[in-house]
Amino acid sequence: MPGFDIPANIVEQTRLAHSIFLLTVDAPAIMDSTDPGQFCMLEVQENNSKDPLLRRPLSIYKTGSNGQISFLYKAVGKGTRLLSKRRPGEIIRVLGPLGQGFRLIHDCTSILVGGGLGIASLLLLAQGIKQSGRLIILIGAKNAAEIPTVEDFSRLTRYFHVVTEDGSLGQRGMITDLLDQTLQEITGTARIYTCGPWSMMKAVYHMVSKRNIPCQVSLEAAMACGIGLCLGCAIPKSNSRGFLHVCQEGPVFDADQVHWGQNS
Amino acid sequence: MINQKKSTPISPDLSISIGGLGLKNPVLLASGTCGYGMELDDLLDLDQIGGIIIKGLSIRPRPGNSPPRLVETPCGLLNSIGLENMGIEAFLRDKLPLLRNIKTPLIVNILGNSVEEYFEMARRLDGAEGIKAIEVNISCPNVKAGGIAFGTDPETAASVTHAVKKATGLPIIIKLTPNVTDITEIARKVASAGADAISLINTLLGMAIDIKFRRPALANVFGGLSGPAIKPVALRMVWQVVRAVDIPVIGIGGISTPDDALEFLMAGARAVEIGTATLIRPSTAEEVLTGIRDYMKTNNVQNVKNLRLPA
Repeated sequence: MPGFDIPANIVEQTRLAHSIFLLTVDAPAIMDSTDPGQFCMLEVQENNSKDPLLRRPLSIYKTGSNGQISFLYKAVGKGTRLLSKRRPGEIIRVLGPLGQGFRLIHDCTSILVGGGLGIASLLLLAQGIKQSGRLIILIGAKNAAEIPTVEDFSRLTRYFHVVTEDGSLGQRGMITDLLDQTLQEITGTARIYTCGPWSMMKAVYHMVSKRNIPCQVSLEAAMACGIGLCLGCAIPKSNSRGFLHVCQEGPVFDADQVHWGQNS
Repeated sequence: MINQKKSTPISPDLSISIGGLGLKNPVLLASGTCGYGMELDDLLDLDQIGGIIIKGLSIRPRPGNSPPRLVETPCGLLNSIGLENMGIEAFLRDKLPLLRNIKTPLIVNILGNSVEEYFEMARRLDGAEGIKAIEVNISCPNVKAGGIAFGTDPETAASVTHAVKKATGLPIIIKLTPNVTDITEIARKVASAGADAISLINTLLGMAIDIKFRRPALANVFGGLSGPAIKPVALRMVWQVVRAVDIPVIGIGGISTPDDALEFLMAGARAVEIGTATLIRPSTAEEVLTGIRDYMKTNNVQNVKNLRLPA
């Protein structure tokens, strides 16, 4: 199940905000077998250039019934900046879908907590949960420009809240406060699915584990192959000396498998 | 009617032999970049390539180094995986049975902390059905000698070679570290200690510093550099070793295209290993193989051995 490595035609490359892009490619084979939370490795360089050397891992943001898949990403480093310069009609190699995505459990309230561009791995999940259960979506960011696609989420549920640190979208505040308030209000069993900066996910995990609410997290790590060949994308396990490998065992983990480090 | 003398298209012979082990072609998957083999199934036709070198196994499982383990550098990759592996017993029990279905010779890479461990590893692999050769990583630290890598001292490199040869009748390939003053001295020693072949180069020791956080970019501080950046260094060392020993030499280091592989074969390598390139493009080995075959056809080279340059 290592996915497909295919040359994919770029259909769309849209700049949504200062450095945030939506890239859509034709990849029917990948689309057909994508589960929420999975990712692809994308070739960023042109003409077989060897610099940068590695592909870039990106979450699959959206799938279309027409065989298209989309990636929502921020051009932060050399690789993603090069990727953002690729244009419709060009071909890029895409390897995917990869990794273990979210494990959907219905019959309870699902709370999605997205921080910044962490929302990129949560949309397919939100769409999946919408089919069958109560869905609460909480999104937090520094400012509105960091999360240019919130409408994709807000249209999925009445229980949608967004906070920004500067108040440029939704209420001014922190996502953890929003989550705390939500947890006090809900009744019945709940599950948390989160993706965002490490410090945010750590705070979310500590908050919900005290209440014994199960939590799944989608993690990032420096990655070379994406398919378990190199074992480079290790993160420490919570309960032993060993490591988890983000590409193969993740990117989604039960939060209590992960060693979150000192001071919460 | 023109009586055109049609030249018969040649069908190049790519088969080679290493220490008595026949391989259908000279393109192998390098240890540490093809996992335990099956991870690449479906992304690469494992039956087509010359050989698969399973990631380095130790006598007991190793958890590996703390992250960050990877840093990308210009045209290169620095890694400090720390030889994470499941250990030889788990490999033989859980991985080998499925690998036997692949019609490509399996070579197992081994590593140890002492000469005794290398001996023990080779002994256990000796009777294992489906394993055709052993590649010995001698770049690891010799714990009993204060952590100096086995492969940087000619005498220690020779004693590891002696030990594994004594333990098994399987062909032994000694994989050399490039982090030495004179690679030919080590090569000659392991050849006279009975090695059936030599593969080189392992990664070049390097480092990177994260200037934003003002700390080494790898948790382990140092790591091994691989990828296209190291190819000229690897090629030079292969050229030297080919001319220093009489046993077959397998070239490794930054090979990602057929042209790269042809350079190594021209330098005199009997075979090549594809490493980091597989991480980026899983089908690289097949594409390299096709490219070598095409070159031989175009240039009328009947046997892959004839690619070697004189002198």
